Amino acid sequence: MRTKLKALAAVAAAATLVLAGCSSGGSGGGTGGDAGAGGGDDAFKVIAFTSGNQTPIGAWWVKAVQEQADELGWDLTMIQGDFDFQKMNPAVESAIGQGADAIFDGYTDVASIGSIVTAAKDAGIPMFAMDSATEANDAFAINITTDQQGIVDQTVGAIDESLGGLDGKTVMVIGHDPHPGIRMRAGLAEEAFTEAGAEIAGGEIQKVTSPATGRTEALALVADYLTANPDGLDAVWVGWDDAALGAAQAITEAGASAKVTGVDATSEAIAGIQSEGAFLATIEQPWPSILDSVMEHIIAFQEDGTLPDSNYEAVDTTLVTIDNAADITPSDQLG
Amino acid sequence: MSTTRNPGLEDTTGTRAVPRRSVGQTLLASGTVLALFVLIIFFFAMRPDVFLSFNNVRNILYQVAILAIIAGAQTIVMVVGDFDLSVAATSALAGAVAASMMLNGVPVAAAILAALVVGVLIGLINGALVAYLNLSAFVATLATLTSVTGLAFLVTDGTTLFNLPPEFNFLGQGRFLEIPMPVFIAIAISVILWFVLRFTTLGRKWYAIGGNAEVSRLSGVNVRSARLLAFTVAGLVSAIGGIVLAARLGSASAVQGEDNLLFSVAAVFLGMTIVRSGAANIVGTMVGVAIIGVMSNGLNILGVNAYVQQVVTGLIIIAAVTLSSFKNRER
Repeated sequence: MRTKLKALAAVAAAATLVLAGCSSGGSGGGTGGDAGAGGGDDAFKVIAFTSGNQTPIGAWWVKAVQEQADELGWDLTMIQGDFDFQKMNPAVESAIGQGADAIFDGYTDVASIGSIVTAAKDAGIPMFAMDSATEANDAFAINITTDQQGIVDQTVGAIDESLGGLDGKTVMVIGHDPHPGIRMRAGLAEEAFTEAGAEIAGGEIQKVTSPATGRTEALALVADYLTANPDGLDAVWVGWDDAALGAAQAITEAGASAKVTGVDATSEAIAGIQSEGAFLATIEQPWPSILDSVMEHIIAFQEDGTLPDSNYEAVDTTLVTIDNAADITPSDQLG
Repeated sequence: MSTTRNPGLEDTTGTRAVPRRSVGQTLLASGTVLALFVLIIFFFAMRPDVFLSFNNVRNILYQVAILAIIAGAQTIVMVVGDFDLSVAATSALAGAVAASMMLNGVPVAAAILAALVVGVLIGLINGALVAYLNLSAFVATLATLTSVTGLAFLVTDGTTLFNLPPEFNFLGQGRFLEIPMPVFIAIAISVILWFVLRFTTLGRKWYAIGGNAEVSRLSGVNVRSARLLAFTVAGLVSAIGGIVLAARLGSASAVQGEDNLLFSVAAVFLGMTIVRSGAANIVGTMVGVAIIGVMSNGLNILGVNAYVQQVVTGLIIIAAVTLSSFKNRER
């Protein structure tokens, strides 16, 4: 019994020493929010995180940020969440607790990171972001994303031009509510089509429940609609390319002439446009230049503590059609 | 393979000598089939011009063909009293492996063969974990689900693989007598599984293990090898489903068809209610698949919101499980 107690005491003492060592090492690295100018000998410490690292664009972002951080000599902590906020948020909060100069959010919706926002504000660390909200939000020093209204104007315009006007035409709008960008642009598209005199197929936005099965869900939605209403569809507006590819496949298989637009400019969507089938157009979002812009803001903060004048910026996108498809770098081949 | 007959297990005609049923019991037993007919009649009444048209029936069959294959795999595992959470992930990995190999210049047949081997290997691992290391099927297949999904991300590099050879896509998009190829493949696999379960010694062993593994062991059945084989067959069949899905979409991604897990379990549970034994069975599973397909197609045609469709699907699963529990109590 005595031997066991001794062993237990020894283990506890060793653990205390180890934890104390870890603790003192960790606290030394943090600089808190008041070190924005990044003066002194310590490396500029940045916490970067994304929940979407398993998507091609998210994977590109992780790689690109790591490369730029290496070039700039930053002390970067990269946290990849795999869409698991229960795992990601505490990891980011823990990193914030150890101190940092800046936080960089990539493609993670502000609605999902409330606890991170609170922790960052409490620590006085500014958060820079790209594509993390569809409107201005105090959570960020700046969030740069794409102009959702512009995306809708371009895609609806492409359908309008292809059909020779929208008045009296039937258009299906397919969205996915949990994604704030898709939700917003699907709503804007529904408004635009309705205002132009088009009829919304099914009377409302058709919803895909999971992005993982978006293609098969959209395929079934359009196939079933065309079975019930042969030749009853003039176009399908879809909030993202993967589901748009399913819609295009359903139209092709049904032998219908309806046209489809998507958003993302994936290589498969671009190939679909180039085949001159049902896939009419998609949208290229300029993620590399958006990343450069956010990085410029972080570097300005690092140099002299300057924060952006505005906390939200929406940049223009490019409509991808048969005319320029060959010149576009697909979003899944950015890396 | 020796063949025999498994009365009562796959038997919906009630050849076993059992007491006469009451009207309530009969309704309970035929409730799922009745539900299918009610759904068909309801949707036909709502859209008589469309619902039972050749085009729409073909459409339904096309949409449920891959689910039918995956549900067949799930049925085999559930017959032995286990559960496989990795069927959809295995199918996605198999499709991804085939697609990746074809895009790297491997001939179609060799790529398909490799994908089938992947399915068999995953099934073997599941079977070994459950039968020989005595892990719970839930935990073991949850673990393989996680690892297999990770492997699929590695194989696809997180992207969607496309531009697959036309002869491969024919498996999923081709037609014979105006019927899509996946329908024929699903029917062929279902018939084979039905035959194995109903007429072979192996099928009898699987049902015996599902009924009581310990009694089976004492009766001389090699329970471990039979369970290993059940998981292996499930892996193989899941891989076939994944290959057909990749061909159907002309592409492969790491999470493709992940909803097939939930729906395959739902289909098997629905099917368990149609036989007196309450055991998993292929005929019942196909009825379950038909219910899911008819419901989804009918609700789409009526323009019902996708969220409402999810609610209804969940309620149907609850109803099926409730029916199954009544049947178990009856036994």
